[in-house]
Amino acid sequence: MINSEMNKLVETLLQGDHAGALAEAKRLRAAGVAPERIVTEGMEAAMSRLDDKCTVESFNLLEIMLVGRAVSAVANELYPEGMPPEQGRATFVIATLEGDVHDLGKNITRMVLIGKGYRVVDLGKDCPVENLVNAAQREQADAVLVSGLISPVIAQVRKVRPALAERGLGGIKVVAGGAALKQSSAEALNVDYVAETAFDGARYLDELMRRRHE
Amino acid sequence: MPELILGSDGETHRISFEPGPSVRDVLDTTDFRVRSGCRGLGACGLCRVRVAGGESGAPTLNERIHLSPELLSQGVRLACQILPRHDLHIEILNPAPPSNWKSTPDAALLHNARDQPREGRLLPPGIKHPCGVAVDLGTTHLCLSLFDLVNGRWLADRMGHNPQANFGADVVTRLAAAVESPGAAREMSRLVVMAIGEGLLDIATREGFDLRRIVYFTLVGNTAMLALLSGRNSGLLLQPDYWIRPVDCLPLETSAWVAAWGINPVAAVEVIAPLAGFVGSDLLAGLVAMHLAEGEAPALFIDFGTNSEIALWSGEALWVTSAAGGPAFESSGISCGAPAEAGAVFRVTLGEEGDMVCRIIGDDRAKGLCGSGLVDLIARLLETGRLTRTGKFAGGEAGFTFNAGETVLTLTKGDVDLLQRAKAAVGAGIRALCDSAGVGVGQLRRVCVGGAFGRYLDVGSAQAIGLLPALPQAVVELAGNTALAGCCDVMLSSLAAQRLERLRGSARLINLASYPGFEDAFLENLYLQPMREE
Repeated sequence: MINSEMNKLVETLLQGDHAGALAEAKRLRAAGVAPERIVTEGMEAAMSRLDDKCTVESFNLLEIMLVGRAVSAVANELYPEGMPPEQGRATFVIATLEGDVHDLGKNITRMVLIGKGYRVVDLGKDCPVENLVNAAQREQADAVLVSGLISPVIAQVRKVRPALAERGLGGIKVVAGGAALKQSSAEALNVDYVAETAFDGARYLDELMRRRHE
Repeated sequence: MPELILGSDGETHRISFEPGPSVRDVLDTTDFRVRSGCRGLGACGLCRVRVAGGESGAPTLNERIHLSPELLSQGVRLACQILPRHDLHIEILNPAPPSNWKSTPDAALLHNARDQPREGRLLPPGIKHPCGVAVDLGTTHLCLSLFDLVNGRWLADRMGHNPQANFGADVVTRLAAAVESPGAAREMSRLVVMAIGEGLLDIATREGFDLRRIVYFTLVGNTAMLALLSGRNSGLLLQPDYWIRPVDCLPLETSAWVAAWGINPVAAVEVIAPLAGFVGSDLLAGLVAMHLAEGEAPALFIDFGTNSEIALWSGEALWVTSAAGGPAFESSGISCGAPAEAGAVFRVTLGEEGDMVCRIIGDDRAKGLCGSGLVDLIARLLETGRLTRTGKFAGGEAGFTFNAGETVLTLTKGDVDLLQRAKAAVGAGIRALCDSAGVGVGQLRRVCVGGAFGRYLDVGSAQAIGLLPALPQAVVELAGNTALAGCCDVMLSSLAAQRLERLRGSARLINLASYPGFEDAFLENLYLQPMREE
């Protein structure tokens, strides 16, 4: 159920109306609404509605990128220094691994997760596994997400879990996604989950975080 | 356009044609070939059809030699001797066995319009009537052109499927298969060598041609196809470092190919080296055919495909990139899609009542939309307000259903999305080249479009959705298979071969994935709207 005072924010976000969403977020803040509520009742509600719309037959990349950009703009407005790690919000580290320079899919996943109210640390593209592990340790990540469009990156993906375990970070879940990776099984990639789409990955993480809180 | 009305298997097929070619030539571009054993000269007498209605002209001398007065009185004729000008109703009496090979519809146009005498090439002594073959080895199709080397005259064309498709529709899947299994790598090489042999054999048997006349064999292709053919360095192409670096994938040994094809044992087999991992010799050949890097005016070349290769001539320097946008231009992955072959809707216009009027290649039964049909349909939906510029149906529908002849087709939102992505990759590629070369889109004086997709493309539709720059239509040249045309040039002329090598030495490569403005340019070009100048 969408809170009526959040209606306009949710609508502008879903329309990908960058400027409108930003103006609405500012208005809500000025009216004394806490950033936390804007995230949970506005951004998350919009993401969940978008998720419902994005079946395979009616997926539209432009629509998702526009919503993603509007969501990122609102998140930046609310938290110019980046989302704070407190308040029980989960942290994910995301990267396109070394050997691959395609990061559009990774960027979309980042925007979806931000929209769902998570804290996301983005390490960019062509990222060595070691940097990923360092960041996971430093940020006390709940999960790391790796993406790849081309198959040579598979060898890098397989190294992530052992590299985390070596630092005693074996509890951190590893999620893989992207054209080259989603054709493989979680076993073959040595990861915890292979996401079909950004939303599929986000649902897996939602479920993971829900279980942790129970 | 007049139609050939064909009775076959108790069904009727309607094939529209431009007057000029013979009934046999028209049929050769479709799935309904008639048996033949000469070059359509009327010499073999095999291509028998029965005329059931329409004006077919008086029987020729050749027909009176091969067909008895009784047969002629029953309407039996030779398909190669009838040059229809109006609707003609026929029945094929002597059908050719089903084949992977057919003539390309624009072959005669492509080659007869060209003036390409042999120059600077020495002919081996002692061979009567020497001939040469040019081959474009594509991911989906394999195209061959045969020329008489003495006078530079074009003799025949064939187009068939690349049989490696069993190992994967796209190059990355095939390369990965080759890297994983040496057996698969050997098989993929063997399949292409065999397919070239079959294409040549089809010419030999249907045109009554002696393959031992062939003394030149020149082949171009994308880098992955060349590596899979030679069996060399396929693995390097999976590494991004090599995408903008040269990759050695020339064959070490070709005498076994010459023997397998049955061409002249002295034949010179030349595979043209690619420019880099993501730019094949097919692109270089296309630039040679279009004379792109000549003159002072900025010119753009786009060869649309799963990986669209794009080149920009600034007037001083040549810039090249490759945009991996997915197979939407070939209509692969599109729910109502079909390859640009017989049965494909290639043109969609608006009827008087706002309905969609479809034109179909080589048949009247629609199998689906090919790339140009898809572009047309989306442009028509935009112009009638049924689709928004973000790619959503205005009424929130999941798809648009329409009649193509007697077939009902549905375009889904997902189909529109795939075309938007393919278009956005090309648009970002054009932006990256223009930025690098310091050329504005509005300054372009030529826009050359290669590939089968370009052959049928409606320029107005392509501009309306932002697939091509919004420039006067006269600037846009739809050139068909430019890779094959350029390969013919190089085979026939050492000057053309030198031009190709100069291009290789001067081209500046751009890796689109590392272009800083990629994501913004991609997003901008996802919109279905005329291309904007930055």
